[in-house]
Amino acid sequence: MDKKTAIYICTGCGIGDALDIEQLKEEGTEDFSIDLTKDHPFLCAQEGVDLIKQDIEGEGVNTVIIAACSYRVNYDVFNFGQGVIVQRVNLREQVAWSQPPKEEDTQMLAEDNLRIGCSQAKNTELTEPFKAEEEYSKDILVVGGGLAGMTVALETAKAGYQAILVEKEDKLGGFLGKMKSTITMPYKELSDPGAEDLIKAIEEEPKVKVYTSSTVEKISGAPGLYTVDIKSNGNGASERVGAVVQATGWVPYDANKLGHLGYGKFKDVITNVEMEEMAAAGKITRPSDGSDVKNVLFIQCAGSRDPEHLPYCSSACCLVSMKQATYVKEQNAEAVNYVLYKDVRTVGQAEDFYRKAQEDGNIFIRGEAANVGEAGGKLFVEADDELLGERVKIEDLDLIVLAVGMVPASKPETAPKIKAPADAEDADEDGMMEVMPDSGFFANSALNLEYRQGPELPTLKYGFPDSHFICFPYETRRTGIYSAGCIRRPMETAKAIDDAVGAAMKAIQCTEATAEGKAVHPRAGDLSYPEIDMKRCTQCKRCTEECPFGMFNEDEEANPLPNPTRCRRCGICMGACPERIISFKNYSVGMIGNMIKSIHVPEEDEEKPRVVCLICENDALPALDMAGIKRMKWSPYVRFIPMRCLGSMNLVWIADSMSRGIDGILLLGCRHGDDYQCHFVKGSELAETRLSKVSETLDRLALESERVKFVEVGITDYDKIPVIINEFMETIEKVGPNPYKGW
Amino acid sequence: MENMVNYNPSFAEEVFRDVDSGDEIKMCMNCGVCAGSCPLREHMDYPPRQIFSLIRAGKREEVLSSKSIMLCTSCYACVVKCPRDIPVMDVMHGLGHYALKQGYVPRKDTANFGKEFWNQVYKLGRIDEKDLPRRVFFAGGFIAGIKAMLNFMDIGLKLMLHRRMKLLPERKIKGVKSLQKMLDKAEGLGKGGAAA
Repeated sequence: MDKKTAIYICTGCGIGDALDIEQLKEEGTEDFSIDLTKDHPFLCAQEGVDLIKQDIEGEGVNTVIIAACSYRVNYDVFNFGQGVIVQRVNLREQVAWSQPPKEEDTQMLAEDNLRIGCSQAKNTELTEPFKAEEEYSKDILVVGGGLAGMTVALETAKAGYQAILVEKEDKLGGFLGKMKSTITMPYKELSDPGAEDLIKAIEEEPKVKVYTSSTVEKISGAPGLYTVDIKSNGNGASERVGAVVQATGWVPYDANKLGHLGYGKFKDVITNVEMEEMAAAGKITRPSDGSDVKNVLFIQCAGSRDPEHLPYCSSACCLVSMKQATYVKEQNAEAVNYVLYKDVRTVGQAEDFYRKAQEDGNIFIRGEAANVGEAGGKLFVEADDELLGERVKIEDLDLIVLAVGMVPASKPETAPKIKAPADAEDADEDGMMEVMPDSGFFANSALNLEYRQGPELPTLKYGFPDSHFICFPYETRRTGIYSAGCIRRPMETAKAIDDAVGAAMKAIQCTEATAEGKAVHPRAGDLSYPEIDMKRCTQCKRCTEECPFGMFNEDEEANPLPNPTRCRRCGICMGACPERIISFKNYSVGMIGNMIKSIHVPEEDEEKPRVVCLICENDALPALDMAGIKRMKWSPYVRFIPMRCLGSMNLVWIADSMSRGIDGILLLGCRHGDDYQCHFVKGSELAETRLSKVSETLDRLALESERVKFVEVGITDYDKIPVIINEFMETIEKVGPNPYKGW
Repeated sequence: MENMVNYNPSFAEEVFRDVDSGDEIKMCMNCGVCAGSCPLREHMDYPPRQIFSLIRAGKREEVLSSKSIMLCTSCYACVVKCPRDIPVMDVMHGLGHYALKQGYVPRKDTANFGKEFWNQVYKLGRIDEKDLPRRVFFAGGFIAGIKAMLNFMDIGLKLMLHRRMKLLPERKIKGVKSLQKMLDKAEGLGKGGAAA
């Protein structure tokens, strides 16, 4: 496209008072061919927008550079449709509001910002949405026919989309079908599980196709284009779907490992799942002799929140024990229930049922079971009562129920680790050992994805699928594949239904966005996608390894095979590629390189250092804007260049900057590690790893390694950003100017 | 272990059934806010939260002879703060009352003061500001009574100066018989019936 570029400088919001606008127009644009340069005192008002629209229509302007506020505001006002490239230059938060007015340094900063923007606009091409050759499917595959899976299928159908439900058992229902009662909203009384009604609703729904006694043998392709091979009752079937929801649920923790609580030793020590099945079948009796039950003790956190068993809390077992205590009371009003707990965790409104359980006279004892034994045909428990500060003994028990936690039912990609017992042989250096899938857990593979990075969803440390817990809970690290219900995290029925509805909506959204060539999230609606210049590919596999979302498959010669509909447009592959052959229409290695090159670096004797800050636009840049809004001040020598994700940082930019005389490079990215905040999961971590290799580059250029620094910031850390910048400037002052200046 | 506590629900059931406001204890979730807000916490052998735990564990002796249940000054700090809306103060008074009825005297002075206070209100329909202290002070013997009187002399003089304490004996209120009927009726409404 032939570009006709116009610059509009807003002089409102204090920009006009802080800067010499005429000088800015002249100095800031001299390196570029700009067709029009105008200023306006109130550009985001109707009059200002009309001015731009007139030029687009009358003058044929198709590239608009708006030098005004942050791109995070007024993006809707300055939207001129698909055919016009809009480039925003920040003169407000980063200049007028955070720098002293009418100073030389402030003026230079504004000019550099405008140059960076002009350079970016020059290198931006209009995006064209990706369109696959095959036809897109908008059907949703649901794996798992329990409460969450059935709800996903029904919600999908209700929204007008076809759902395909695959269940490995011969009938739908999952654990819900095995329950006597559930406790759900409003958490006052027991309620009917309603499994039959749900199954009936599914059977009557024409838009849900059910495969029972079936497993998913293979899922190949990408969102919108998946081909699913299903093995159903020994026969093969094939379906084309647009998105997948995994709702394979949970299995109880293996109580055979809880010998210290008497399981396996005494017949009257049972798990909560066994208790539920017994209650659903009819009467609760002592398994040893079938006699009536009067005194029951529930041991909470049986194996849960125990580093050697399940290190986490399943959040539902407290409620389950209260429910089962209610069964016992319903059967025999004289019965006494003891609940031995570490902490009662009845989350949210479920607290109401805890109140009911207390009103019923159930006795809650805070403490840990130390010994379970038998005397005179009855069981007893010795426990350390934390509130009395003493060892207590509860005798004359007919039944002991172990409230075991939930384990994800499907095979995770990496085996979860727990603390190894003292006598374990396979403990690693940190005293941890892997829980192997063959130990009876996670035994079934659920998805069998044909992805280069592995057949199942990447998991977190306890075997639950990795997702951005707060911002994007249903999204996994495989675009178009969502998790819902207890496979995502342990939860009770009300939450599982919420989860299922959410995941169904996300899956539908994905099929629609994919069909239009748009990214799903977090860059929802982004039309760009990575393109690879395969002629120069060296088959180094870095892109296929590092993409957190498994976008690339590989052929036998290790050539990357991109699946653009799997892509989240973070640019991590672009940062990974040593050949720099991966680029987007509006984001590329060359573009950022040119942006850095457009910065004017003063001579050494001017004593004005220059620092480039590559800043993550998801968290760090909003924090910077916030610091500007709060009128905080920072060094005027820093030039900010936003990154889609810090993971798209290519080391060549650092070498380029250094060789041009830039004195230092600051990278601001998200927190990483176990509780990462990176929108693209691995981006900031990868950036820091790559950075560790940068010292070689610096050595080659005979430069100090302090010149490059990576700092993790959260979106709420706005107050720390000026401190981080000023501290870095002190370092730069200490190491002195870059000797490559002026070369 | 010898001194291991055996959980015994019978005392909890007794408290739920027989103690005024005793069934409110069921709702306690042992957060300890009552103990934290109690101004007399440091003088108590067991804070209210622990009293409730002891009841659940079945430690009858410890609870009914604990001076905590008689230390409550009805300041309402715990009642205001309890997240489970337990009237902790009422429970403590209920327990004190029940303890006396069961023949326990957790705190002799308090018990004695309560008895005298009640008797006087019952008889006169009001408190006689000189007679009540006299009875309480001299309960421990003549010498102890003189000592206590001297201790409180300043307050006594001030009370007289402000005409809060008359030299002549207080008279009965009008209609003291009706008041007595009301009090009799009220006593009968409590779970434990009239205290000794």
